[in-house]
Amino acid sequence: MMPRNLLALHGRQLGTACGLIGLVTIFWIVTPHFLTISNLLNIAQQTSINAIIAVGMTFVIITGGIDLSVGSIVAFSGVVLASAMQSGVPLFPSILIGLGVGLLCGVTNGALISWGRLPPFIATLGMMSVARGAALLYTEGRPVSGFSPSFRWLSTGEIALIPSPIIVMVVVYAIAHFVLRHTKLGRYTYAIGGNEEAAVLSGVNVKTYKTVVYGLCGSCSGLAAIILTARLNSAQPIAGMMYELDAIAATVIGGTSLMGGEGSVLGTLIGALIMGVLRNGLNIVGVSSFVQQIVIGSVIVAAVLADMALKKQRK
Amino acid sequence: MKRSRFISLAVGLALFCLMSCQRREQESAKGPTVALVVKTLNHPYFIDMQRGAQEAATRLGIHLVVQGAEREVDVEKQMQIVENLIQTKVAAICLAPSGSRELVPAILKANRAGIPVLVLDTRIDPTALREAGGKVVTFIGSDNFEGGKVAGTYIVEKLSGRGNVAVLEGIPGHETGDARRRGFHAVLDQVAGIKVVASQTANWERDQGFNVFQNILQSQPDLQALFACNDLMALGAVEAVAAAGKTGKILVVGFDAVKDGRDAIRQGTMAASVAQYPDEMGRLAVENASRTIRGETVPDEIPVRIGLITKENLGPQ
Repeated sequence: MMPRNLLALHGRQLGTACGLIGLVTIFWIVTPHFLTISNLLNIAQQTSINAIIAVGMTFVIITGGIDLSVGSIVAFSGVVLASAMQSGVPLFPSILIGLGVGLLCGVTNGALISWGRLPPFIATLGMMSVARGAALLYTEGRPVSGFSPSFRWLSTGEIALIPSPIIVMVVVYAIAHFVLRHTKLGRYTYAIGGNEEAAVLSGVNVKTYKTVVYGLCGSCSGLAAIILTARLNSAQPIAGMMYELDAIAATVIGGTSLMGGEGSVLGTLIGALIMGVLRNGLNIVGVSSFVQQIVIGSVIVAAVLADMALKKQRK
Repeated sequence: MKRSRFISLAVGLALFCLMSCQRREQESAKGPTVALVVKTLNHPYFIDMQRGAQEAATRLGIHLVVQGAEREVDVEKQMQIVENLIQTKVAAICLAPSGSRELVPAILKANRAGIPVLVLDTRIDPTALREAGGKVVTFIGSDNFEGGKVAGTYIVEKLSGRGNVAVLEGIPGHETGDARRRGFHAVLDQVAGIKVVASQTANWERDQGFNVFQNILQSQPDLQALFACNDLMALGAVEAVAAAGKTGKILVVGFDAVKDGRDAIRQGTMAASVAQYPDEMGRLAVENASRTIRGETVPDEIPVRIGLITKENLGPQ
């Protein structure tokens, strides 16, 4: 009874997980350098930034929306955070500033979509350009670099041999999973994506909740910016280009439907790991970057095809 | 049902990987593996660099792995590539860094793994490297700042010290373009008769070079020369000059001397282009990586010549 329940609940993720395990097995067979503890930690660490952005993206996509501005928000949050630290603002407030910038951009997206009635694609496309321009303007186009060791610890530190970005990622996913499954916000997120009109009619304050979801997505980008800045010891106004596509890919591979109404953060985590494993494995095997793009693209398409076939079967 | 789908996907991928693997093994000699990490592989400049490196590797019996990010400005992706190569325990890494400070943490990781790093093309910020306690074997490259000065000197000479000049900049925040622009300004700022009347980015792109320069031509009808921080933008600008019927009236100077640029110089639509020699950088990188692996010492800095390509010194095709 219990296993069957689990299967019904996590059937989608099981499929995706099988894909991940398959990939790992292939690389394990092909190269001896792949399945080592240090490389697995390496992969998890490399995945963390995309994975954290993808959490926010998953919420947005479940509501039936999209957020194209995440990459630019990463850049903007990063440079504001970095300049704050360099002008002597202490660590903790600086981090809050970084998150705050992300939140603000996200809330603006949400407000434009809810009250401005703009399609999410357009609102966030606008923000993508505005945040990028703001980041460039703010820094006059130059990277801001050189931070204190305590800040850099966020990326270089370890707790019980686990690098800190991995821990941040796991905590974010645990919280997001809880919110999505067990809170009002989570239920409304699904409800809005499932049928927005029905959600309105049943008394959900759709506008507010949508804004919250986009704000959440922006904050995730802010958090990713913190880790990225600590990792490179530099905040670049041109950072994060095309991150939106990586985040969307991770979400979609993880089984979240672009139509909205369904999806899970666990699936997204596996999706992000699949992308991380692919990039890492193909690097290690020595496949050229051109071929890598073909493989990654094919995997995205294959994953969604498999997903659609599954859905049909269930009906 | 779903299993079979995933399995077929997996098998496809496996075949693919095995194939590429096999090909690699055929190519490889018994010698050590050296990695060349470039900014991106979809730019003629880095393809030349790869060619030079590959020739040297074949000659020296080295197995060369060449990797680059999908986008030139994607430092984080380049850092991932370096991390992944460290995992494969290559004997040396030759790195053309996408960011002069951002790659320092990656270099530190290579240091810790005992893998020597040779930097080529773009300099790593020495202060950032020292503060982090990292070290690189050598820097192999020519100076973009110097290149900008070469272009500036040429334009000053050609205009006899009088005139209005425009600049097409690279992607904002990108060190290479910035250094070229600063070098250019370092010369022009000394010359009272020459004014930089417009300076805009065209993001390294040919089509944007066309559009941006067309706009500049609209606002600055009295323009005598243009310095574009790379040839692609210069080539776009050349088209805009032609569209305005001003071919030959505006001196266009590019940077990189790529093949299309050389052709344009031959035809006279472009006046000159600052040339770097990426193939030489690639060759020197692999040669010195080989020396490092053998335990020989190499100089801290290995300069690569920089030149100006004009119609006069460019032979017929």
